[in-house]
Amino acid sequence: MSKEKKAQETGVRTLQLLHLYPDVMSLYGEYANIAILRRHLEAMGIAVSLRTLSFDDTPDFTGADFIYMGAGTERAQKEVAARLVPHKDAFVKAIKGGAVVLFTGAAMELLGRSVVDVQDNITPCLGLADYYSVESDKRDPVDVVAETELLGRPVVGFMNKCSVTKSVDTPLFEKVTLGFGNEGEHGAEGFVQGNVFATHLTGPLLVKNPAFLDLMIERLFARKGWEVPEDLPILPYEREAYTVTLTELTARIGHHGK
Amino acid sequence: MRLILAILLCKVLHWVGGLIGKGSSLPGQLALKLCPDVLSRVKLPAAVIAVTGSNGKTSTTEMIASILEAGGKKVVWNKEGSNQIEGIATLLLTNCNLSGVVQGDVLLLESDERYARHTFKWFHPTHFVITNLYRDQLTRNGHQEWVYQAIQQAVFPETTLLLNADDPLVSRFAQGHSKDKVRWFGLEKSTTSTTEHHGVYNDGLRCPVCFGPMAYSLYHYAHIGHYQCTACGYHRMRPNYAGTELDLDKGVLTVNGKTSIQLAFKSIYNVYNILAAWSACAEIGVPESTIAQALNSYILKNGRMVSFTLGSRKGVLLTSKHENSVAYDTNLGYIAAQKAPCEVMLIVDAISRKYFTGETSWLWDIDFNQLAVPQVKKVWLCGKYVNDLAMRMDYTDVPEDRLVLRENIAQAAEELRREGNLPLYVATCFSDRDKLLAHVVRD
Repeated sequence: MSKEKKAQETGVRTLQLLHLYPDVMSLYGEYANIAILRRHLEAMGIAVSLRTLSFDDTPDFTGADFIYMGAGTERAQKEVAARLVPHKDAFVKAIKGGAVVLFTGAAMELLGRSVVDVQDNITPCLGLADYYSVESDKRDPVDVVAETELLGRPVVGFMNKCSVTKSVDTPLFEKVTLGFGNEGEHGAEGFVQGNVFATHLTGPLLVKNPAFLDLMIERLFARKGWEVPEDLPILPYEREAYTVTLTELTARIGHHGK
Repeated sequence: MRLILAILLCKVLHWVGGLIGKGSSLPGQLALKLCPDVLSRVKLPAAVIAVTGSNGKTSTTEMIASILEAGGKKVVWNKEGSNQIEGIATLLLTNCNLSGVVQGDVLLLESDERYARHTFKWFHPTHFVITNLYRDQLTRNGHQEWVYQAIQQAVFPETTLLLNADDPLVSRFAQGHSKDKVRWFGLEKSTTSTTEHHGVYNDGLRCPVCFGPMAYSLYHYAHIGHYQCTACGYHRMRPNYAGTELDLDKGVLTVNGKTSIQLAFKSIYNVYNILAAWSACAEIGVPESTIAQALNSYILKNGRMVSFTLGSRKGVLLTSKHENSVAYDTNLGYIAAQKAPCEVMLIVDAISRKYFTGETSWLWDIDFNQLAVPQVKKVWLCGKYVNDLAMRMDYTDVPEDRLVLRENIAQAAEELRREGNLPLYVATCFSDRDKLLAHVVRD
């Protein structure tokens, strides 16, 4: 009997996390997003199983409650697109089944229609949303403060992109007070639809933003039909670290350049 | 006429700047305004060596200068470390005579990896040393493939490339470059090479040419090692300048199977810097015996490693670039290799000294688990980002009761001075190290 089945029969709540392409879509400590989510879920007594899909594996989304892909280089992003697009139907099925999806950094672009590079080569993407991204030869890695009504407080982070993303109808962040939005400085950023979240923020986003992490947990509980506890776990240093970064970045808003 | 004016202006400003202690880029900046193509008008020495890459630029450049000078050559080089176009203009014009002839046998330039293409628009190096490419200051550089593309625009057909054979991304610069204009340096199997990869992430998994899966027969550190692509066959080249034997414990490196040198600093980085410097100097005709002699007595001058006393403790500060997990890992490895009981201090207060960022993702790329060894008795976490450090340590095997959190660096120094006598190893960046060094007695 599988560990998961056994856990179910004994009444232990289980969740499966699926990390897509950590071998190639891992620009900057992305694994920490999964590590912290797992730790919080385990702190709530949930049996968490983690599955990773590597570049040479055949995509399989069966049983995944949370599907995550992190940032990668422009090259890796296009290689991954070619692997993933033939399995689009299975991915859409997982989403329709209510899986919580988080795509960060260049992975965000994979949910759109396509990515156009500087030589005008077009890479077809998953087409879950109608947006598309256009790369340029300019890159301005930048600290970010972004606001969304889904969370009671700003999200902090870092962005490292050389593209703009056009025609996003339902952005995740209404505005970016520091950094770049989908189409330029300060505009709306990312994409959200149901349980699908995407942002060009890079790195351990859930580590830096306890509120965003809690949102993911709430969505996972809702998917399972579990009651969300009034107080989600607070682990040491997390809120303090967030406050320091927010204070530092807020002090920069209005300054130009770095 | 403009050339002479630009030279005069630059010399005068540089002299005045020297008096008032101002930076080295302003004179060049103004000279470039007065005469935008000034860099293509000056007459350069026959040998122009440029050094770029993610790590080891400054150390390698200093080493090359030292060897060349030992070989009796007059070297014009940017020892002040200003490696962008303005700084290089200052350097060239202040070392010109009024006919615009640079007064030296060799021009040696440490070159910023993203700005090399701007500098070398005006003149091309005869020799281009590329040390390595990896995750480094992403808040500034984007990522290593982006940097690769930027450097590529500074590679010209007539330049001889001196490449790190053990770095697959650096080796790619040889593709499409005339074969007789590429020379390789690298390290053979050593006492510290491993068959498994070490580190939190592995940027050597895919082939930089075809994205196929790579196979390594050995790793020296990070993705630096002996590799072959299992799909297209892209592979490590046999080095012209090889570290054929290396015993890091004893600190002995043998080059090309015949010349042994004693390492002043027993770090794998230092070995690669030596091999890079060796290749550049040998290529422009310095005899191997002169190179070996110069390197044998060579002490790192840039003070990346500082010894000090704090109360009853002896201390060593290892400058570890923030936002650079590979360099940081190497220093943690050095600390973990110490056999006697010790304590460790990590400081993250200002992430950069040159620009603002609140970015801490790089902490998750560092293999702090190296500190989970019995002889490391305590790990002091200090600075503004003490909570980020503590969170990161929480995901290692370092027991929680070994952690000491002190946001205030001065307070931590005071406690360390008052109590305890175990040796202290400090890992921190240029941006933060003086915040501790202000409280210690330097040896």
